[in-house]
Amino acid sequence: MAVAFLGSDRRIAAGDRDGRLLIWELPEPTDIPPIEQQTKSVGVAPVPKLSLVGHTNGISRLAITPDGKTLISASFDKTIRFWDVAASPSGFTEVVVDHELRDAEARRAGKKVSPDDKDGPGIKIETIGSTHTLEGHRDWIDAMSLSTDGRRLLTGDQSSLVIAWDVAARKELSRWNGSLWNWIVATALTGDGETAVVSEYRYKRDDFDIPCPALKRFNVADGAEQLDLLKVQFPKLDPKQNTYGSAQMWRKFIANGLVALDISPDGKLVAAVQGGETDNGQVHLLEMETGKLVRTISGHQSGATDVKFTADGKFVISAGRDTVIRICQVEDGKEVAQLGKPRGGQFKDWTSSIALSPDQRTLAATDIGGWVHVWTFG
Amino acid sequence: MSVGDLAKPTLLASVTVKKEFMIDHLSRRALLKGTLATSSGGVVMNWGDLFHGPASLAAESAPTKKRCILLWMNGGASQFETFDMKPGARTGGTFRPINTNVAGAQICELMPKIAQQMDKLAVIRSMRTSEVDHPGGIYLMHTGYRPTANVRFPEFGAIIAKYNGREGTNLPNFIKVFSQADAGAGFLGPKFQPFAIGPEGSLPPFSSSSQSPEVESRRHQLRTFLEETYAKEHRAETSKMHREAYEASRRLQEVRKVFDIDAEWEKHSELYGNSVFGRRCLLARRLIEEGVTFVEVSQSSYDSHADNAVWHKALVPPMEHAWAGLLVDLQQRGLLDSTLVVWMGEIGRTPNINNRAGRDHYVRSWSTALAGGGIKGGQVYGESDATGVDVKDNPVTEGDFFATIYSALGIDPKKENFAGVRPIPLAPFGSKVVSELLTS
Repeated sequence: MAVAFLGSDRRIAAGDRDGRLLIWELPEPTDIPPIEQQTKSVGVAPVPKLSLVGHTNGISRLAITPDGKTLISASFDKTIRFWDVAASPSGFTEVVVDHELRDAEARRAGKKVSPDDKDGPGIKIETIGSTHTLEGHRDWIDAMSLSTDGRRLLTGDQSSLVIAWDVAARKELSRWNGSLWNWIVATALTGDGETAVVSEYRYKRDDFDIPCPALKRFNVADGAEQLDLLKVQFPKLDPKQNTYGSAQMWRKFIANGLVALDISPDGKLVAAVQGGETDNGQVHLLEMETGKLVRTISGHQSGATDVKFTADGKFVISAGRDTVIRICQVEDGKEVAQLGKPRGGQFKDWTSSIALSPDQRTLAATDIGGWVHVWTFG
Repeated sequence: MSVGDLAKPTLLASVTVKKEFMIDHLSRRALLKGTLATSSGGVVMNWGDLFHGPASLAAESAPTKKRCILLWMNGGASQFETFDMKPGARTGGTFRPINTNVAGAQICELMPKIAQQMDKLAVIRSMRTSEVDHPGGIYLMHTGYRPTANVRFPEFGAIIAKYNGREGTNLPNFIKVFSQADAGAGFLGPKFQPFAIGPEGSLPPFSSSSQSPEVESRRHQLRTFLEETYAKEHRAETSKMHREAYEASRRLQEVRKVFDIDAEWEKHSELYGNSVFGRRCLLARRLIEEGVTFVEVSQSSYDSHADNAVWHKALVPPMEHAWAGLLVDLQQRGLLDSTLVVWMGEIGRTPNINNRAGRDHYVRSWSTALAGGGIKGGQVYGESDATGVDVKDNPVTEGDFFATIYSALGIDPKKENFAGVRPIPLAPFGSKVVSELLTS
């Protein structure tokens, strides 16, 4: 699941693990029913207005160009697609977006839910197709980031291939490979798109065959490695070692992969969150220049999933499997706010991605149950 | 002395330690137990074995003794992410099906190399078993029986070692590479106990001497002298087992090189895939080639209650690469027809994906696969329903599964061994051989 604001705080796009990509026009805050009503009744939550048709497998990441006109999506179908979100619709489709509510309603009514009850009938909405498709990846694309100026795009797949793209030209700029067995699980670009940080990880191939993860800084233009940030933390780290013993060196720092990255607006810090199902998914703040760990902050029970700096660089916002979004001060790591409540820790649908509106006043988050949650600040 | 003589209890009292030692293809432990029991006039454990085990081994053994490799997916691999795809169903998951070299048979995209070996495989999509958690499931899918307090059932590796194993060899007949099962030889006794190797496939430290060959030889002579002297006056079973263990260990020294796969690995790493599991599979082929009857090779970590898709994406590709390489290698060496390759875990996984993005334990409908010796490849047996919740056609129980394995190996699954005076068939009473899976 991934989410993005489309140039305003009232228009969002979200994609799911089946490859569905939908756009919602949110009503003004004053017109939105209380949250209790939305999550307990069928048909009260806003319905999608547009379906973006093209991907054939899960949507992993979304990004929007600075002008708010072009949505970019990365998918497990190994492609990256560009969408003109102001394009005229080209057709219609029927979608069901309230499976969970239908289940709940049926259970309350005491009837057994058949697949037909769940899957139809849905709502009829307009569709658009993508304007461009970027190909070149060999496996699931699990990582994508767009430079703040919108010039460069960086994508990474689970064959350990990283590709940098020239967004305007829709062409490949450079490419490089990570370690042989690793997946590219997260990327981040500096505002000008000149420098990248890439996180590699792979779940173990066996208890005694555990590839070593990586966290490195690269020059985007030619893919040259500039700094091994993980080596800064563990000077004795041998990336070729795949033993159980060697994994003990990095496990506490990496957990089950640093699954999301973001670079601060001033380009001085990179935030990396501990993902996978782990006891305490923390946010590491590291210096871009030296790789030195500045501090480790917050902590999501059962692992973190996404991270974003606010535009002023003062706060870092993280999402996690504990179904809570945590807002912490960069300066001292102090947690200043929580969005949402723990919905039972690992046994409820966890939050999978977050996005901030351009005006920084609205935050959207997806969960793996298929919901999009929207908060307004202030 | 002939084998048949041993069925006559009157002979037992006259069997001496020395004579017994010469009968190298019989269970000496069982024989000694029987001797002691006869002289004491009581009924003891393995009494039945004296009549029904060693006495009729030759008759019970098949003319062509097949071998077996078990590829064990510890934790329970998901059928939805391997052999029983449900594309389009809400239970289907993230992966897509791919075609195989058998028309109409599709498997998960995570297994492109196995897809090209599908003509060798008999996939069972209708397993329905009776132990849903790991300890019970591991026991069940190694023995064919649910755990009980009263009977220590043997693993099928021990049974196959008993009926198809060779006597007097330098290598054990039953070898496990990184196995999680612990039932062992059960009531079959220590003779058929597995020899366990660690996760890297190397011999355990205790298997080699720290002394020079000359010193070790002199130590051996001294030890033998002392033990034989002791044995003349003390017919204790533990003493005998101690001598046998030393003998087995010494014989192992003659064949240590088979465990050193580094040189061959350089040539075969591409075939098996560069993984620890691939190395284990290459070792299994070498052991089979050297005459070992049963080798279990395990891969860990399939218990994907969370992040099922990524766990399988990490685990399945190296596994299927090694498995496909093993099948090709066995075939190229002319060993596949005489070697049954069994692929399974202890359980399947739930159709529903939970809110940890995982799948939980499930035994109502899941999948296993067989290939090689005695198996008619290129087929899918049984079927689950549209969402994989239940078996639609041809359910196969654990008993049916093991009865079929024994039959494929030329062993009658109705043969009985004895736990005390209780007869125990190899496959549980009522089990049916799935004859459609067999070549004959």
